[in-house]
Amino acid sequence: MIGPNKNVKAARYGMTIDVDRCSGCGACMVACAVENNVPPAHANATDRTGLTWIRVYKIDNGLPYPETRSAYVPVMCQHCGNETPCAHVCPQQAVDVDPATGVVGEMPQRCLGCRYCIAACPYHARYFNWWDPAWPAGMEKALNPDVTPRMRGVVEKCNFCHGRWHAAKQQAAADGKPDTEPVSYTPACAEACPTKAIHFGDLNDPASLPAQAAKQGESFRMLEKLNTDTKIYYRSKRDWVRRIADAPHPAGTGKENQRG
Amino acid sequence: MTSTRRDLIKFGGGAAVGALLTPAPWRLVTDTALWSETWPGVPRVARGEIRARYTNCSLCPAGCPVRARCLGDQPVALFGVADHPFSHGTLCPFGLAGHHLPYHPQRLKQGPVEQAKAAVAEAIARCGAEERIAILDLRPGRTASWTYRRAAKQWKSGTYLAPHRILGGDAAVNLAAAKNVISVGAPLFDGWGTPGNVIAARDKFRLIQIEATESRTASLADTWVPVQPGDELQTARKFAQDLAAQGPTLVLDAGERSEILALNQTTGALGTAIVSRREAPVPDSWNQAAPESQLDALPDRSIRVLLIDESAAGSYIPWSRIEKKLVADNPVVVVFGSSADGYGRHAGFVLPTAVYPEAVDDIPPAVDSPVAMFRLSTSLVAAPAGLVNPAQFIAGFAGIDAANSLRERADAIHKAGRGNLFTYADAKSTPLKDVKADDFWKALNDGASWADEAPVRPAAPILALVASTANATEDDLPLAVLMAEAQPTPGSPILTKLYQESNLRLAANRIALHPSAAKSCGIADGGRAMLQTRCGKLEVQVTLDEGLPPGVVRVPAVPCTLDLCGTSPRAKVVRI
Amino acid sequence: MRGVFPFAAGLAIMLAAGWVGFPHAIYKSRPQPVDFSHKVHADKAGQKCEDCHAFRPDGTFAGIPTLDKCAGCHAAPMGTTPAEKNFVDQYVTPVREPQWAAYASQPDNVFFSHIAHVKRGQIQCETCHGNHGSTDHLQPFQQDRISGYSRNIWQVSERVKTTRPSMTMAGCIDCHHEKGLEHSCLDCHK
Repeated sequence: MIGPNKNVKAARYGMTIDVDRCSGCGACMVACAVENNVPPAHANATDRTGLTWIRVYKIDNGLPYPETRSAYVPVMCQHCGNETPCAHVCPQQAVDVDPATGVVGEMPQRCLGCRYCIAACPYHARYFNWWDPAWPAGMEKALNPDVTPRMRGVVEKCNFCHGRWHAAKQQAAADGKPDTEPVSYTPACAEACPTKAIHFGDLNDPASLPAQAAKQGESFRMLEKLNTDTKIYYRSKRDWVRRIADAPHPAGTGKENQRG
Repeated sequence: MTSTRRDLIKFGGGAAVGALLTPAPWRLVTDTALWSETWPGVPRVARGEIRARYTNCSLCPAGCPVRARCLGDQPVALFGVADHPFSHGTLCPFGLAGHHLPYHPQRLKQGPVEQAKAAVAEAIARCGAEERIAILDLRPGRTASWTYRRAAKQWKSGTYLAPHRILGGDAAVNLAAAKNVISVGAPLFDGWGTPGNVIAARDKFRLIQIEATESRTASLADTWVPVQPGDELQTARKFAQDLAAQGPTLVLDAGERSEILALNQTTGALGTAIVSRREAPVPDSWNQAAPESQLDALPDRSIRVLLIDESAAGSYIPWSRIEKKLVADNPVVVVFGSSADGYGRHAGFVLPTAVYPEAVDDIPPAVDSPVAMFRLSTSLVAAPAGLVNPAQFIAGFAGIDAANSLRERADAIHKAGRGNLFTYADAKSTPLKDVKADDFWKALNDGASWADEAPVRPAAPILALVASTANATEDDLPLAVLMAEAQPTPGSPILTKLYQESNLRLAANRIALHPSAAKSCGIADGGRAMLQTRCGKLEVQVTLDEGLPPGVVRVPAVPCTLDLCGTSPRAKVVRI
Repeated sequence: MRGVFPFAAGLAIMLAAGWVGFPHAIYKSRPQPVDFSHKVHADKAGQKCEDCHAFRPDGTFAGIPTLDKCAGCHAAPMGTTPAEKNFVDQYVTPVREPQWAAYASQPDNVFFSHIAHVKRGQIQCETCHGNHGSTDHLQPFQQDRISGYSRNIWQVSERVKTTRPSMTMAGCIDCHHEKGLEHSCLDCHK
């Protein structure tokens, strides 16, 4: 069922995130939760068992005070393009890599909750619904109609705001644009970022910001040596940030640590 | 012919085979699978037409313009207004989930309204000669603030109180005119001023952040200067002297301490980066209004009735400073707010008010707006019955009709004919003199903002500096208190993403300690402890943070901790 | 022969129950709130499908029209039928939305885009909705007691109506395969 649609020009949606501009405010995390109907935390949830499709991590250069310097890195599903680990391990074929958009889609409706994909994901970008979603009375009226809430026992993750992609496709059809062109839209995190650290676009379109960023020297991808061909290009001028993203050999330089 | 058991079994066998040859069992399996999709624990989302409605966010004085994506009339998501010339379409994390506030489980909906009215009326009647009736307005500058001042004028001994502020009233900041900014812990990128404006001006100034810990703002600053708590003034003075030669250098302080802000007088900031700002016009009849007084200037034990408007969040004054001004015998304290976690913990009567985005209220201009602004937070969601409008409640005791005060204010602004109106639906800016009065009022209610015209030559204000009250030394307490960034109370339930599900921000019941400080108290990460100051103690949970200097405890800026640490800058942490 | 009789009896009874009784029992039938006649509106009022079932400017489908669309013409009865009078009295005057039962309603996790099928796919309304647009009376809503979905969705063929267990994904996939279109899960799910 999944195969390339011959007439459609394939897009490869990706992002560029400027770590030097990220203020760690968390607006992206809140906007994502509002857009994707992610419920408030259960009383017993911790940062290991919560649902944060995008999560901003605080990293630092490992030096003691006052030499400490920190940075903030938003991490969401990296939409691996090569040998997508989660798609490989899913026994239910509940993970679908779309050749027309490059988006790795998680289907909570097919998921049986084995959490193999969570173990397989090198970026800790997948989250399990340990509890049924619970919104305070009345707040379910404020849910986004374009995204369906998930029940407990299934895995969910970032899908580059696919509800907005659907809306963009409908708008393109209403405007009479040809179906062969990929649509242009903005996910919630990129739209909400106050410092404009996150930019979204089509990596196949050389004019888009992510495509341009991908070519620049100061851009890097997370855990590049795993060869997962991810679509999120991070940028930073600071060497220690780049070193942390590459997770260097322990015999290397010092006490980098990653705090979340 | 008698039927045997074998016949029965054969009958059953035939029925089983027959059943398998009908669609029934297969349909039942499919139907059950379909039925199981409508899991009772998961709400069904509504369907309908999507519309845009506009308002201004009233969670903080920035008052950022908001576009609400609505399903019918119900807001389901909030965004900034992209083309707005001041906010540039930015919303902070709290504003992005503001539409959840009406549904917060701890949001107040009921209160002893009649009893409060009776108690206030009776206390006003028996108010002694030396006693006063006071209104504490936590967000001054609103139209409601004028109502309070007019009411205070009507009473024999009415007093209007507001938190003292040096910047943000008559003296406003123009960030774009600063060459350098020396910020002593002011969270420039984390809640100060108007986020969109600060970020847009970022490339114009060099930021020196003087702070004990590397906050979010410090990590984005051009230079972070780590200091020990207590050394800030001396460090700021040195930088001010060095940088003033390069151009207007703005000095900011998170605690608005006069001795630090006084440095602006010698750095060329007055008249450039700090300008005099006139208030938006008011109707002439309102000029019979009491002036603003400061709490600390009142004699102790002199307030008989205290009415606190907490419905619009602003600075929090630690309760100990308020309590000593109340009369000793049965003062009447009424708090108007939507949460019981603020002054409601100390008040005799807590009356529920509307929350954003239910309430219609105006938002005074932010500290970083060099000109006056007038914008309304419109009503996107219907407020439940039983709520109180604080301005009308208080005005009732003074014989003032405040029901149309916002319209009256809008008409006065319109009459003055200055400035520009920016309407959100069409992103157009129109000079106010080209807009009719009724259209102005309608535009404000549909989502718009009015900005005063900038004077040709900005005037240099006189800063309202006060002598600092020296605190008694508290060397017996080992840790210096650092206030973390402010958070609105209550915030949307979805903010657990930032507090509980990621530790990105410090939750209201947590404090942060350096691992060595925690170890010396015998506390592990996540352990429970008592935070003690001269003012009391509070049970908290401890987070370890290597980025803090030893000898410091970082606490969230919420009412319980502000009561504890607001006047006591030193604390001790004891393991439970 | 006698040994086979109980088996045959069981078989026969269950076959009858499964093929005749079961379809009758599994569905709960209720009439639509108003006895609306598509034929009258198409013929007499000269309306086409898209006059009431329109696309909004953003491409979303308005679905079954809301009361304000009907009240635009029917503020007062325009004809003499009791059905119309009932509609005006029960719904238009008290401004109450009729609770229409949509035959083709899909689960929450399905994203079906009408405009993709009508404008891009150039599919006629009748292809999926059959002669629904020219009927004189609305079919009663036959709801499956367990799954909650309607019995007749396609309105196309009698055979499909009785045996297809609701409009499952297989129905969509069949047609897409025929047209040579292949898709990814998230194209149609949300």
